[in-house]
Amino acid sequence: MHFKITKPYIVIFLFIPGCWFIGQGLYIESKAIVAQQLLEHAWKNVKAGDTRSKPWPWADTWPIARLTVPRLNIDLIVLAGDSGRTLAFGPGHNFASSTPGKKGNSLISAHRDTHFNFLQYLQPGDNIFIETAQSENTIYKVTSSKIVNMDNARFIDDQSSSYVHLVTCYPFDSIIPGGSQRFIVSARAQSKLGYTHLHKPFIKKSLENANFIKSILNHKVAF
Amino acid sequence: MLFINTHFLKRRPRREYLHDNYRPRKSHFFIWSKRIIITLLLITLGLLLMLLGNLAYGGTRTTEFQNIEFNKLSQGSMLIKTNTSGIYQQVPLRQTDVDMHVTGMIVRSSIKQQFENTSDSWIEAEYVFPLPENAAVDHLRIRIGERLIEGRIKEKLEAKRTYEKAKREGRKAALVEQQHPNLFTNTLANIAPGESIIVELEYQQVLHYEQGNFSLRFPMAITPRYIPGNIPQQFTLLSSNDTSEKDMAETISFSQTGWVHHTNPVQDAAQITPPVQSGPNKVNPVSINLKLNTGLPLEKLFSRYHNIVKQQANDVINISLANGVTPSDRDFELVWTPQVKHAPKAAVFSEKINHDYFQMLMLTPPNDGAHNGQPLAREISYIIDTSGSMHGVSMTQAKQSLLMALDRLRLHDKFNIIQFNSITDQLFSHSQIASFENILIAKQYINRLKAEGGTEMAPALKLALNKPADTHYVHQVIFLTDGSVGNESALFDIIHKNLGKSRLFTIGIGSAPNSYFMRKAAQFGRGSFTYISDVNEVNNKMTSLFSKLESPLMTDIKLHFNQNVVTEIWPERLPDLYNGEPVILAIKSDKPLQEISLTGTRALSPWSAKLNLKTDNTSKGIGIFWARKKIAALMDSIHDGANKEKVRTDIIDVALTHHLVSKYTSLVAVDKTPSRPVDTGLDKTRMPVNLPYGQNAYKSFGRLPQTASSAELNLLFGFSLLMLGLALAVLLRQAVPPQDTTEQS
Repeated sequence: MHFKITKPYIVIFLFIPGCWFIGQGLYIESKAIVAQQLLEHAWKNVKAGDTRSKPWPWADTWPIARLTVPRLNIDLIVLAGDSGRTLAFGPGHNFASSTPGKKGNSLISAHRDTHFNFLQYLQPGDNIFIETAQSENTIYKVTSSKIVNMDNARFIDDQSSSYVHLVTCYPFDSIIPGGSQRFIVSARAQSKLGYTHLHKPFIKKSLENANFIKSILNHKVAF
Repeated sequence: MLFINTHFLKRRPRREYLHDNYRPRKSHFFIWSKRIIITLLLITLGLLLMLLGNLAYGGTRTTEFQNIEFNKLSQGSMLIKTNTSGIYQQVPLRQTDVDMHVTGMIVRSSIKQQFENTSDSWIEAEYVFPLPENAAVDHLRIRIGERLIEGRIKEKLEAKRTYEKAKREGRKAALVEQQHPNLFTNTLANIAPGESIIVELEYQQVLHYEQGNFSLRFPMAITPRYIPGNIPQQFTLLSSNDTSEKDMAETISFSQTGWVHHTNPVQDAAQITPPVQSGPNKVNPVSINLKLNTGLPLEKLFSRYHNIVKQQANDVINISLANGVTPSDRDFELVWTPQVKHAPKAAVFSEKINHDYFQMLMLTPPNDGAHNGQPLAREISYIIDTSGSMHGVSMTQAKQSLLMALDRLRLHDKFNIIQFNSITDQLFSHSQIASFENILIAKQYINRLKAEGGTEMAPALKLALNKPADTHYVHQVIFLTDGSVGNESALFDIIHKNLGKSRLFTIGIGSAPNSYFMRKAAQFGRGSFTYISDVNEVNNKMTSLFSKLESPLMTDIKLHFNQNVVTEIWPERLPDLYNGEPVILAIKSDKPLQEISLTGTRALSPWSAKLNLKTDNTSKGIGIFWARKKIAALMDSIHDGANKEKVRTDIIDVALTHHLVSKYTSLVAVDKTPSRPVDTGLDKTRMPVNLPYGQNAYKSFGRLPQTASSAELNLLFGFSLLMLGLALAVLLRQAVPPQDTTEQS
């Protein structure tokens, strides 16, 4: 049996596929980075009031929140939905979960090798800031992290407070994608800070109302 | 034999002829490059081996993290913070006794839970527990030694204030609040060191009756699992993800949740003060005693997950657990089937409270139509979501479901397929009969579907619902989507306004469909919601949905009173009926009801039934049943745009009259005499966040998404290939024909 390794063979079987794989890998990584830049623009629109601003015309998602972790210098735009396509561009918010900043469980997922690689460095007590289109920053404090199986993760349905769960694949250093374990960092909204912050406009408004009523009363008295 | 063809390397020797003094220089450059290449080759090989190893190792990876988590494990129970930081104590639930009494359709349950404060300080304890979704909680008692304190129903805020006041004054108090229809919290104040308290809760629920079977479920994870000392055993329980037990995961409440606590408020399990224990196996034991008084001869009676002992005494069957007590690790479910000829077609239970008469009416429409009557001709519009978010597995599931659906069509049925993403497209301009060719065309159309673009749901819904009313067909819309939309209320509006005679059935597809949207859409569409989370489930779930859709349904059900009475009936709008489902109504009237008649449309022909309601026997709990139905209906009306404040006052009104816990009312029990000296501090218990209490208390978002890209794998593989290629190329370059070298040297 004669098999001769010749230059064309090497080029065809090794160099071209090699380059292709590297290209694929770099494409995924760069998509993750470039998309966040594009999203920045869409996020500005969202904050300006266009809540369904699409980052690019054919996108099936839109930014819904900004997630920052000052200690680790993390600043990410969170997208609506957590389908595979969305996660390539940024962390995705699960539609079935509650909106960040609102009561209940909010689920945000991202790839362990791109956006959510930092999850492994979060410590209990770390602050996570989440800003949504409707509200200013809500401060979440990391309470715990857990490793779960992707099929039977359940979250206690506590509607008295706001929780955010950051989900990514586990283990972090595994090269093969598609494992069944998930790493979940749970954080709870800081009630005091979040509360006063959220209710400031309300207090202001009710004061305005009070003044308004007062002026009417005065008016009537004047009559 | 492997020959290395050096033909293309011959250029160098050729150069040799030009420069006469050529000699392959074994210079430093060549020696080093050779070494480097060999090293690179070895590294590449190593990387590839690692890759293979990783593949092979992937399956056993779990064992590794189990060991890491081992000593950081926490136990699922209530914890008290002690004065020393980092040290926690548990409040064990010593014993839970459940007594249930089934009469007719009503189950009355009482739960006695015995708490014990094993710490040496006064504590306040709080814990969350699940109850059946339709549970009406109406009594709370705390028993301290010989004394008994009865709870009162109060408006939520007022109850809270009463409780806080008692707490400050050092009185014993308990507060039961509803967090969700199926989730309650119980807070206890001022438990003395070493003291044990019994909290007694009573609730009522209605039996589930479908396809001739009655079933009763008690969520056993009501009591936080408390497991002393033996951590390794508990550890295996908590982390067991064995796929062979996957089916059990549904029922075994939280030992199978797969939660492994990584870092938790409890920093070190070894520091938890071990509480007094009664025995290694009798941890948080639950005893169940059930009195079954069905009034019907039974064909079958069994418990799904526990061994039981049955004792017949006249009309009553006494049922208890075979082992006396059981650890509360799985729900208790009892199922019984009356003998076929005695299967209840209709039942009336009534109760008189003050001047009001309450009736509970259960009626099963005869299901003979499925066999001898003309099967109902249906016109079905399938809507399939082909937006980008459906890409991948979701699309596969949706396609499979749709293909299955087509196979179930009968010749006289009509159908059409509508797909939508940024644009809406339909297969036929009008619905076509389900002929062989049409189905073939449809299957080709389905196979060609691709998921991309946005999610513009409104036009598709309008297209499907806006059908000219054809009275010969029952129009059903089957809607497959992951529901990734933001404009939910606008869509509900469209469904509400365009529904007409059509019925909308939603099928949730994918890892995390927006089930709120789909459940509500189905409610507005007067259909039902089915959730398919896995490709393996497609067959099962679709089959049960279709057998339901195909069986003759009864529409336009109305109730007529043949006498002059003032009535209040819940639910207000009667839903359509499918085979095997009963109508259950709660009626309140100012006079005893004599006779009522029900009318409806079944298989295009009118149907009616007359019921004689005159009955002497009165049953307990019908008033409560009526009140619970009213509260549920009022809560739902908020979604239909009812005034929230009005609903709140209405609910408070009903709940106070019937002594029920609701979203706006709580039960509070306060001791008259203070027991804690006011100058002694009160420690607040704390519950770890995400404490596993049982599946009913949980929200599951289905399968979590895939969160690893193949970037690293691609890069690694690419580099490996390049390295290999480079190494080979250079090696070949060096492998000069042997005769050349010998000649030269």
